[in-house]
Amino acid sequence: MTRRQFLATTAAAVSAGNRLRGRSPCVLLDLQRGCLRESVAGYTAVFQQRVVRADMPGIPHCAVLLVPAALEISPVAARAIVKCLHAGATVILESAAGFLDQRAFGTERAVLRDYFGITVEPPVRLWPRQTPYVDYLWPYAAKLRDFSRVVPLAPPAGERIAWVDNLPVALKRRSGPGTLIFLGSPVGPALWAGDADATRWLSAVLATVS
Amino acid sequence: MKKSIGDNMIPKEWGFERGLDLVKKAGFDGIELWLGDVAWFQMTTTDAEVRDLRRKVQSAGLVVSNVSTGLHWASPLSARDPRVRAQATRIVERKIETAQLIGTAAILVVAGLVTDEVPYNEVYQRCLDTLRPLGETAARAGVKIGCENCNAEQRFLISPREFWQFLNDVNSPAVGIHLDVGNIHDTGFAEQWIEIHGPRITRIHLKDVLKHRGRCGDQSVYTNLFLGDNNWRAIRAALTKVGYDGWLIAEMEARYRYAPDQQFSDTAQAMDRLISGRL
Repeated sequence: MTRRQFLATTAAAVSAGNRLRGRSPCVLLDLQRGCLRESVAGYTAVFQQRVVRADMPGIPHCAVLLVPAALEISPVAARAIVKCLHAGATVILESAAGFLDQRAFGTERAVLRDYFGITVEPPVRLWPRQTPYVDYLWPYAAKLRDFSRVVPLAPPAGERIAWVDNLPVALKRRSGPGTLIFLGSPVGPALWAGDADATRWLSAVLATVS
Repeated sequence: MKKSIGDNMIPKEWGFERGLDLVKKAGFDGIELWLGDVAWFQMTTTDAEVRDLRRKVQSAGLVVSNVSTGLHWASPLSARDPRVRAQATRIVERKIETAQLIGTAAILVVAGLVTDEVPYNEVYQRCLDTLRPLGETAARAGVKIGCENCNAEQRFLISPREFWQFLNDVNSPAVGIHLDVGNIHDTGFAEQWIEIHGPRITRIHLKDVLKHRGRCGDQSVYTNLFLGDNNWRAIRAALTKVGYDGWLIAEMEARYRYAPDQQFSDTAQAMDRLISGRL
């Protein structure tokens, strides 16, 4: 990322933050035991007062919905997330399904397919490998730390926005009036560990929300 | 100061009771029990069996200095996989439980493991998050958790000031440092670690280190007391300076090829020399 790109991204992120504050809040859906807690902690640490935490069943009307490191999305939660999409929200749905056992993964895979139209392949353990990064192509080219396991996307997807070892692991696509950003490699733990690149990348993603 | 040695040093074919006799006859005051490393003390060992171990230790005229384990190398508290981390937490909890059952007030924990896969900042944060509640559990049980400085192997908390900051961040009076004077290698000086950590030292592992070998070679860098490069006079002086009067526990990685029982008495005598300051 060039200095010019960085400044533009930062300014846009601040602007987006102001817009979000002015209109509807950024909401973080805490799936409790159904997600990786450190990912929740990561998003919370980055956004602090700018994010409203929500537990099921009630998700307030919002411009952005963050769903950190989901391990198990219940049908009730899935319907609530879809409702946000139908209301025009941008949903960042982060999956930690790579850490599930075969049976639990099968259930989660069905939820992703049935409610969000996302087909994922079985989890892939990335390590041992040569480099520890996932390559993001959108909203700018960035290398973010992998989190050991990913769930690759099967075609058809949307716009594939991240790759690791030649596997697509993140997508962006319209979903009715909303936008769904699916991350098959959790970013939240890197946020929680204070990874500046992950924070910058997420800010740039949010800056695209108008 | 009192002398102890790990039960994982007992020759495998000897068994626990014969091993205890050897430890006592060699002149030790206590024994360190290694959860998961010896047949008689596993995660599946019941409370009743643990109490039986205590009786055997007492019958031999010894006490348990502390509970240790090597299980954290396979199940680190810093693992990304929440299931592995849960198992690591359970191991620490079991050590606390068995410490209570067996009548000792200290356990050893290898806090985290930095690897090419799991980076330092993650390990640091994850260890804080797991150790804070474990510190509360330990405090309620009257047990102290000693995080061991496994500098080279852990690639974590390499300097004494880093370790000091880490303990500040954990911020629990029940969490201190189990200081291994051999693990520092060429990254520092054991006597400085002793001086910096002083009252936070829960137990001390003793072994000597051959700094010139490096950890990458095919031979262990560790050796028996007084054969390596540790500055034992400085270590002894630092112990006096900080007022350490607790357990010294021999942790010999290099073992005698012949007459393994001889290593027990040689080590106990060397420890006597260290304690008495005749160096």
